[in-house]
Parts: sequence; structure tokens; C-alpha cells
Amino acid sequence: MPKSWYAESKPHYFCPGCGHGVTLKQLGYAIDDMNIQEDVVFGIDIGCSLLAWNFLACDTIQTHHGRTTPVMVGYKMTKPSKVALAYMGDGGGYAIGLQSLLHAAFRNNPVTVILVNNENYAMTGGQMAPTTELGVATTTSPNGKTIEFGPGFKGPETVRSIASKDAFIARASVSNPLLLRNILKEAMETQTEKNNFSFIEVLSICPTNWKTSAEDSLKRVKEMEKYYPVGKI
Amino acid sequence: MSKRNNQTYKLLLSGEGGQGIQTIAKALVATSIEQGLKASYLPSFGVEQRGTPSIAYVIISNENINYPRFDSADIIMALANRAVPRISKFVTPNTDVLFDSSVIRANTFSKIAVHKFGIPATSLSREKFNPKSYNVLMYGILIKMLDLNPDISWKSLKNQLKDKFKTKKIESENKDAFEYGIEAVLERKIFFKPTFETKATINYYKNREKKGIINPARCKGCGLCIEKCPAKALSFGSDLGVFATPVPIVDLNKCIACGMCHQICPDGAIFIEKINNKENK
Amino acid sequence: MTNRNKQLVTGNEAAVLGALAGGAEAMFGYPITPATEILQGWINKAQTDKSLHFLQTEDETSAGFAVCGALLNGTKAFTASAGPGHVLMQDPVSMAENIRLPFVGIMMQRGGPSTGTVNFSQQEVNLAAFGGNGDGLRIVYSASTVQEMYDLSIKIFNTAWKYMFPTFLLGDGYLGKMESEINLTKSVNPVHSKKLLREQKIPTHLKNCYSSEEELAEILKQNIYDWNKHKNVIAESDKYRTGDASEIIVAHGLVASAAKEAVDLMRKQNRKIGLFRAITVHPLDTTALSVLAKKVKKIHLIESSQNQFSRIVKYELYGETTEIVEHSKPAEGFSPSEIVDLVQD
Repeated sequence: MPKSWYAESKPHYFCPGCGHGVTLKQLGYAIDDMNIQEDVVFGIDIGCSLLAWNFLACDTIQTHHGRTTPVMVGYKMTKPSKVALAYMGDGGGYAIGLQSLLHAAFRNNPVTVILVNNENYAMTGGQMAPTTELGVATTTSPNGKTIEFGPGFKGPETVRSIASKDAFIARASVSNPLLLRNILKEAMETQTEKNNFSFIEVLSICPTNWKTSAEDSLKRVKEMEKYYPVGKI
Repeated sequence: MSKRNNQTYKLLLSGEGGQGIQTIAKALVATSIEQGLKASYLPSFGVEQRGTPSIAYVIISNENINYPRFDSADIIMALANRAVPRISKFVTPNTDVLFDSSVIRANTFSKIAVHKFGIPATSLSREKFNPKSYNVLMYGILIKMLDLNPDISWKSLKNQLKDKFKTKKIESENKDAFEYGIEAVLERKIFFKPTFETKATINYYKNREKKGIINPARCKGCGLCIEKCPAKALSFGSDLGVFATPVPIVDLNKCIACGMCHQICPDGAIFIEKINNKENK
Repeated sequence: MTNRNKQLVTGNEAAVLGALAGGAEAMFGYPITPATEILQGWINKAQTDKSLHFLQTEDETSAGFAVCGALLNGTKAFTASAGPGHVLMQDPVSMAENIRLPFVGIMMQRGGPSTGTVNFSQQEVNLAAFGGNGDGLRIVYSASTVQEMYDLSIKIFNTAWKYMFPTFLLGDGYLGKMESEINLTKSVNPVHSKKLLREQKIPTHLKNCYSSEEELAEILKQNIYDWNKHKNVIAESDKYRTGDASEIIVAHGLVASAAKEAVDLMRKQNRKIGLFRAITVHPLDTTALSVLAKKVKKIHLIESSQNQFSRIVKYELYGETTEIVEHSKPAEGFSPSEIVDLVQD
């Protein structure tokens, strides 16, 4: 496991097959590769991301729902030598926390936001989220999401429309872990070397709430990649 | 052992999230009310979706029930090792503790409970019924202990589970498990030896070109590595992991040491590399 | 005006000067009347003093959470707000209350609830003392003069960092805008800040979510113990002409200043009345107040809210048999002569 993983908290609290585990492994290796374990401050949201409260061997703060970005903005502004990571899910980032995410991008605050998108509010049992695609059934869209709730929300594209041109914005997927790692690295380097805002959305899987097998989970994320394109935005 | 006679029963059902504890708790309450009693139910969870202790407080009585919780239980059911520490404070010298002896070692209770009754529910379910029907088997035992009517009780459970009984076969497997529970003779002195425990030691693999480890204490049996392996070198074996689900094994002859299993594993449970290749992390 | 130790300032300007003297290093805020001048004043100071941090955020909730972020690395950060903004602050302040962050806020009360007025009230006592979804483990001061807007703005930083509870200074819209000459000669011994994310080899993992009732209960037990342990040292009050008083007015903030004048007016009429002014509204200086309560025949509670302060006082004075009369005027101030009239039988 990565050096920057906190061994004492393993096996961790995430469900079997959770995309958070995949993302955090690549984040761990990215931190190892960049040798910034002692500089990272890891902010997490409520939702499943809160289960990472003792996941990394880095100082970690669990904040309120949708509030991780402003906490990291305040932290980074007053201690610029640290690497501020704001880690959240699609609910925390695109619903309650969208305002703060957009403004951090708008101000080009040099924080790195990592948003794990599994198209539902997983911790609370699988409710519809902004990124739930049309037609998908969730506990609050039992007959499939319909257009009056908006189509799947394209976060990185939205953020790009108001961010500084120097910001690094990209989408990755757990289906390609090595690309994910490289994108995470480039995002963090945008903070450490260029002092600009960076935002990564990671297309992720949720076998528990999707009620899918490993095979079907991977198939679904591949389908998601058709609507939510992977790469630099 | 059945001791109902106008008595109030306080039952504490405990296990891990995903074991169907809440389902049978709700069915117990529904069937008690159906059978003219009063009942209350309160679930208690940790935060996580899976693997969190799942506890249900059930009270069945002839009298009105005001408060759904209690400090000590008449009957405790334990289906997972991780649930045992949580239930110990509810045990009194009169409490009957019913547990799945194919998952929990009997001596776990030696300092905790006086009256313990085992049944190798998981093992029986896999062998005779449907692997997921062990909670239904336990439900059968509880119905017998509470002296409730088996037919009505089965109907209540069926009503609770109707979405899960996707085929007639699944339904009849569960019914068999229930009926087995009704008739079951519980272990009192000699207990099944647990066969569904996480393997404590790491599995090492090595041949001339590659070596690797698979660690059951980390593996949650998600199967992602198996799906992602381009050489189809991984498959589920018989050792059990964190949630007592099967852990993969690797065929090093097919394996090409691409590292994909390691990259995709959310838990850091698998790592295979070419020998003497220093660049392979 | 040429005396460097005296300055003619508004209450909001005094707050900025006080915060600076108290060791503040960062402010995060959002414009809201009647606190906006505090944010503006701070940002102006930051133009010339580059060691000061500031950010006008997208809303009060983000401002409060940015304060929390800065506190985590040991920066003395604060915010200022009012009314609906104060309501939004309860989200970050609740987090601070749970994990013991020394959150500092200067709240300039205005009429409520909802948008209310931008002018004046004492209706944010509940918010500051008991807001959020906790049990009120916060410390609340109330300024009664422009001088106190300066003095107490210094004090709240030391109180917060010494005891590690969210600490508030309540002002109001009149105080914020009125001008007065203040003394700037307060000497300060700033309390050292500490890093809550400790930056050690062993990582600090801070969470505010717990799996079981018992786990949270343990944390709360410790927090409550600490609050109770220090509350008598923290509590402050001022007694005015109470030595021979047979009745007292109990008030806080600007209303207490009006009451002070009312006491003087009534003393001229030989009425034996005094004033107990709460400097801390929470914890209340119960020790001093209960001694007084035993001595007098009547207590007049006067506040510009519907019993928010009186509820605290009555709770703390439970058991005392002194007659208590409540005079509440939510969202409206009291003039001294009005108080004289109210207090007459």
C-alpha cells in the first residue's frame, strides 16, 4: 500500500469494491511520488468521504457537508506552504457545496479539489444526485430520473467556464487507475508549483447502492465515461 | 427453553450491515402484531453502509410499549464477531444468547454469557438452503423461542421479503431454512467450529519469474481484481476475507505481472510483481 | 485628536482596532449591515500591513468555514456578521464547538427574525450562546460602549485561545455606527496560538462524526467539564451603584448604558436603585448576581428582545425568591427616561 496510507486504519471502512478505495490508493501513490506526505492537509466532506477521516498518514479534517472547499481555502491562505486537498463526493461538491467550489475556482484559490462522482448520495442509502443521469432509478427517483430534475450535471465543464485559464481541471475514472494517478499529480503540481486552482472529478463506482457486481460496476462506469468524458477539461 | 407466558420479551438482534438483521427484526414485529401482541422496533447503526455493526431492538409484549430501547435483553442473537463486544453490556444471568457457531467461536462468550445456544446457520444455509438465508433460519429459531405461530410468522416474513424472493426457487429455499429453524436443536455444550472466519495470515505466491501476496485480512471480496485482470489469472478461492467472503487466488502461470490488480484494488490486498524488477512499485 | 492614545471612532472601527491589538491575523467575512464596516476596515488595514489575511467570501457560511480552516493551522482568525448572517454562521460555529476551535465572531445585532431591520436589537443572544445543534458551549460578551467594542474585541481572542471555545462579542447597529472617543492604551498579553492540525510525524485526524452515542457522549462530557471548570473565571460583570440598592436593573450591551443613565436619574430622586451589567452574557456572572439578588427586593430585567437574556438570568437565579419583572422590547431600544418610566411602579 502507499507509504502515505495510514496502516493502522486498514482494513478501511469503505464498502467492498468502493471507488473511494481506488481513488485514495492512486492519491496515496501520487503523494508518495511527489514526496509531499508531510505537507498535505486532507480535508474531507460528510457522506462516504468521511470514512477517510483516518485513512491517510496526513493531517486530516472532516468538515461539514459541502464545506470542505472553504475550509481548505481558509487554511491554505494562511499557511501557503501546505498542500491543501479538498476531498468530497458528488453531493457535497455539486449540490450543497457547489457555490463554494465555483467561487474557489473563480478566485483561483490554490487548493486542489478532488470530487468522487458515483452518481448518488451513497452514505444515506442511494438518493438522486446532481450527477445522476436521466432514467437512472435511485431511492428518490424510483421511476428513473426525469428531466425536471436536470440531466446529469457536468461539473468540470461548469467550473471551467468560470475558472482562471491557469486552473487545471480534469475528469478521471477509476477504470483507468494509472491515468487517474497522473491526473491527480498534475492537479497537485498545479497547486505546489504554479499556485493555481485545480479540480479533478473522478468517475467512480458504488456496488452497494448500484446493486451491481464487480463486472457490472465497471461496465457502468465505462458507460458513464460516454456522457462524462475523461481527460483535461 | 421457550418462556413466553404473558411475558414481555426484549430481544437484541446484532450482526453486521448486510446480514439481514433489520429484515427479520421488522418481520418479528409485524408478525407479533399480526398475532395479537404489541411490539416495537428500533434499529441502531454505525455510519458506514457496509460492515458497520447492525443492531435491532425488538420488544414484544402484551402491554403497551412506551420506549423502544432497554438496558438488558432477554434474548440476544449474534451473527457476526464484530457485533459481540457491542452486545455484552445487555447480557444478564438470565439472558439467552443465540449465535451462529459457524461464524463465531463459542468461547467468545465464555466471559460474557451464561446461557449460550449455537447453530451453524451460515454453514447450514450454504449447504442446504440458499447462502443468504441464514437470517431466515435464525428467524425460525426465534419464532420457536417466542412460541409464535409458525405459519403466520412465515407469511409475515414472506411479506417483508417479497422483493428479494425473485424466483420460486429462492422462496422455497428460504422457507426450508425457516422450517429448519423452527425444528432446530440448538447446540448447548458442543459447538460447531467456525468455518467462516477471516483468514489471519497472508497468502504468498512465488515462482521463478513472479512473486506476490494476497492478504485476506484486507480483502473484502469485491472482485474488481478478477474483472480487471487481462490474463484471467485471478479467481475466487476458498479462504475468507474481512467480511468472511471468498478471497481471490492467483495462477502465476497465467499472470503477466501487469500490476493492474494492485492498481484497482481499493483495499491494498493484492500485490504481484516480477522478481528482480526494481521499477515495479 | 492629536493624542496618539485616543481616537474618535465608530464602534465598528473600534472593533477593527481591537481585533488587531488582540492579535488577529485573518478575517473572513461577507457584507451585511450593520457589520460591513468591520470587514471593510480590516481589508483597508490589510492593504498596508501585508501580514494580515482577508477574504470576502461567497456567503457567511463559507466565511465561517474559512475561519475554521485558518484556525486549524494556528492562525488567529475571526469574522463579523449580523442577523441572517449570524444564522448562517451556526453551521461553522457548530463544527468549531464540537472540535474545540477558538472561533471568534463579532456580531452586530439587528432586528429579527429574518431580514428584520438593519438597525438594532438584542435578539441574537440565543444564536450566540445556544445556536447550532449543540448545548451552548460558547462564550458570549456584550459591549455596552464604543470603548468596550475596542476592549472586548481584544479580549475575545485571548479568551478563545485560552479556553478553546467559540467566543463572540455582541454589539448592535447603534454601537456599530455611533462615534465616541476611545482610549487605545490597553496593554495586551496575547495568548499563544496552537496548531490543531499539529503537523507532527504522527498525523492528526480530526473528525466531528461519531458511530455511536457513547463515542460522542465522551467527547461532550469532556467539553462540558472544561466549560464548567472555567466558567466562573470567564464570567464578568459590572455593578453600578448597587451598594445600598433595594432594587436593581439587570441588563447588558447598549441597553445597560441607557440603564446606567436611568439609574443616575432615579438616584437624583433618591431612589435606591442600582445596575448589574452583564459583561459576559454566557457564562453569566451568577456568583455576583446571586449575591446581589439576595440583598435586593426587586430585579428589573430590561432587554431589546423577547426574554432571550431574561431566560438565562432566571435559569441562573433559580431558587432565589427576589421578585423579577421583565421589560422586553424586541428590536427596539430603550432611552434612559423610558427606563425610568418603566421601572416606576
